[in-house]
Amino acid sequence: MNDNVIKVENLVKYFDGRCVLDGINFTVPRGCIYGLLGRNGAGKTTIIRILLGLEPVTRGRTFLLDTESPNLSPKVRGRIGCVAEGHNLIQNYKVERLIKLCKDLSLQWNDESFGHLIETFRLPMDRKVRDLSMGMRAQLNLSLAMAIEPELLILDDPTLGLDTVARRQFLELAIEVIQKQDRTILFCSHILSDVERIADRIGILTAGKLVVDCPMEQLKERIKKLRVIFSESVPANLYLTEIINQQIQGREMTITVANWNKQKQAILETFKPSSCTEIPMSLEDIFIECTKPNPQPVEVS
Amino acid sequence: MLTLIKREIHDHPLFFIGSVILSTVLIGLSIATLKGHYWIELTAFDSPAGTIVSTILVFVFFGMGAVQMDTDRTRKISAFISILSVSRNRILLAKIIAGLLAILIALVPLAVTVTILLRIHIPPIPVFHVMVLEIFSGTFLITLACYFIGLQAGWNSGRLPPVIIGLILTCILLTLIIIKGFMPEIMIILTLFTVASLIRTWHLFMSTPL
Amino acid sequence: MQIRIDNASNRPVYQQIIDQVKRDIALGRLIKDEKLPTVRQLAKQLAINPNTIAKAYRQLEGEGIIVTKPGSGAFIASLDSSLSKAVRKKLLSDELERIAVEAFHMQVDKETLLELFNNAVEKLNVPSKKPPSGVPKGGQSNE
Repeated sequence: MNDNVIKVENLVKYFDGRCVLDGINFTVPRGCIYGLLGRNGAGKTTIIRILLGLEPVTRGRTFLLDTESPNLSPKVRGRIGCVAEGHNLIQNYKVERLIKLCKDLSLQWNDESFGHLIETFRLPMDRKVRDLSMGMRAQLNLSLAMAIEPELLILDDPTLGLDTVARRQFLELAIEVIQKQDRTILFCSHILSDVERIADRIGILTAGKLVVDCPMEQLKERIKKLRVIFSESVPANLYLTEIINQQIQGREMTITVANWNKQKQAILETFKPSSCTEIPMSLEDIFIECTKPNPQPVEVS
Repeated sequence: MLTLIKREIHDHPLFFIGSVILSTVLIGLSIATLKGHYWIELTAFDSPAGTIVSTILVFVFFGMGAVQMDTDRTRKISAFISILSVSRNRILLAKIIAGLLAILIALVPLAVTVTILLRIHIPPIPVFHVMVLEIFSGTFLITLACYFIGLQAGWNSGRLPPVIIGLILTCILLTLIIIKGFMPEIMIILTLFTVASLIRTWHLFMSTPL
Repeated sequence: MQIRIDNASNRPVYQQIIDQVKRDIALGRLIKDEKLPTVRQLAKQLAINPNTIAKAYRQLEGEGIIVTKPGSGAFIASLDSSLSKAVRKKLLSDELERIAVEAFHMQVDKETLLELFNNAVEKLNVPSKKPPSGVPKGGQSNE
């Protein structure tokens, strides 16, 4: 079964007259780990809240497990595990009470694996949630989300506030989830190295648009940054499609292009540059290029 | 469902203890007032005692509704629970049932006590029993309506106007009842008002982003 | 097998794994028939998506560098010295290309660059090519 676990169609969202999401389209097939990147305030949490039916759309539709988001029934929700940003949970409850609440309200609960996680993380049962460190709250949150054996795991900045060791533990846990067949994960993160490690597909959200949506391994091949030097000035009529960024300084032009291919190479060569070198880009570099303010966001797919 | 109700009660134990205390106080008051008087002198809302009792009830449960929803909003409890395998309808229903329980704890013993007192003190004239029934169902309805308005106020706790409107409506209704008593027309208006409050509360809870 | 993922690199993660396996083979750190860690083990060890590792292994298998036996795992394929040599040559030529680019940006001219290179070769005693007649058949030049 290769259905799409998450479907977002032409999603538009306005907050107080301000456009936050401007026509977002993407799908996440079953078994995929989708990493959604974007700067603070880009709208990642908004997309997740809309997917979970916590916020209404202005226009467009979103689907989780073939159900439209406003109509998510308890049965469908029981198949979705969620780790919300900030790991707030219910602050004034004791850990034990929170666990019991989640367990009683779940459709299925794997007591064994949950107990194992609690032991591994050494989470204290009788302490109040607000008295736990951020790292422990994150671990509790993740454990609660995984205990229900979800088909879909939605993680909103799950490693925020975690120290190095806790982050690595979280990653290892995520990988255990991935090893199980047909589990799908959607996660937002700021920590690009984490995203690079575990995502199959990546999306970059900038200025309300999804400027990148492609398999992780192809990302570095599809986006190229080139330093092009001309013997005289940079030709004014130089035009390539899908330019993400362009800077001109005298005879030198630094250009970042999406979906680089032979045709674009050929076009560039017709302008007879005296040299053209590739500037290597890490994921962080790509991210920064794609999130610079740009009048014409381009789509890499 | 039961889990949610139990959770609600567990979160607000003071409401229920308060209800019990209120009930006891009101029972005490009614015993003190009715003892030795003729019931005829005291159709509940013609006497100051009755007005005071109903005003207390109305504002206490308005407050309870407001606090119940406000703590939920502040602690983001419904926001968390709504992600679990539970529908929003159920979450609200559990809250309302808990509130209802508190109201019944306050009113039912009082109703029972008054009925018993009447049986003891006054010959069994049917009209009195009908009156008692009217009075208590009317009191129940207005308390319930004000509880719902309280829930709405608590939900909108950031904004003052809805709270003020809610309180004004409550006062208007109260005045109406004090002046007119529990006549059938008033009862119909009261029922409609209660139902409208419920619908508005439901709509508010369902449509606002959590 | 020690693999390091470089997040600052411009090469995709699966490519880095492939590169490092090839490098280890070329440098003699991985020998013929040696068992590689399973996808799961490596995923856990490096904390990366098992699909990435699976892709790297698939490509390595496609290039004939490793062999997977169902139920047993992945093993280094029998390599003849010419394949190993080809890999080593490619690694070095990639490295040299990078140096050439650096030189270009630093505006070091060709003659200076070659001079610097020859100095390095002399200093580190890089041996010359062996004459063909003296090499026994099937011998491996191990560096």
